[in-house]
Amino acid sequence: MGVTKVSDRETTMRPALKAAFTMTALLMAAGCVKLQAPDKPIEINMNLNIRHEVIVKLEKDVQDLIQSNPGVF
Amino acid sequence: MTVLHSKFLTKVLCAAALGATAAIAGTALAQDAFLDQARASGQIGEQADGYVGAVKGASGDLKARIDQINIKRKAAYTQLAEKRGVSVNEVAAATACELFQNRVGPGQFYRTEGGQWVQRQGSAPVQLPSYCPK
Repeated sequence: MGVTKVSDRETTMRPALKAAFTMTALLMAAGCVKLQAPDKPIEINMNLNIRHEVIVKLEKDVQDLIQSNPGVF
Repeated sequence: MTVLHSKFLTKVLCAAALGATAAIAGTALAQDAFLDQARASGQIGEQADGYVGAVKGASGDLKARIDQINIKRKAAYTQLAEKRGVSVNEVAAATACELFQNRVGPGQFYRTEGGQWVQRQGSAPVQLPSYCPK
């Protein structure tokens, strides 16, 4: 009787364990359980995210923007 | 009777439309003049972040007008930023560079990146924010 119980448990536990392991592996692969500090610092100063080349590229656009919105600029 | 009535109605509607147009144009004119006048009188100034601010604090009406201008600016910045695939801050900063060079007259105030209000002395060059080209 006792022997059958153990074998019963073994047969039912194994697929369950396998499934649990698979789920964990999948979740980790998907990055769902990643607990990591953000690599970028929290931005306080707006200058940090201003790219110089973008400012240069926008020059003509903002000149037009200013010209076409009197009273706002 | 109905023809007369509808003609009268058209007249009234036309007059109303004309009046509304005139009112809108008037408001727009007043608004255009306001910004230039307020900058010239030293009430408001251009800021390094691309928006305007009150140089010496703002009362209700002045604050409301400043907010109104800045809301429109932000909308314009956002639109251009989306069009060019850049951040709103970048458009605002690029605009500030232009405004600092072209919209700060002698004796007028501007606010540096550090948050300090500076009065342009005579025709001395305006101190541009660090992110500006040149």
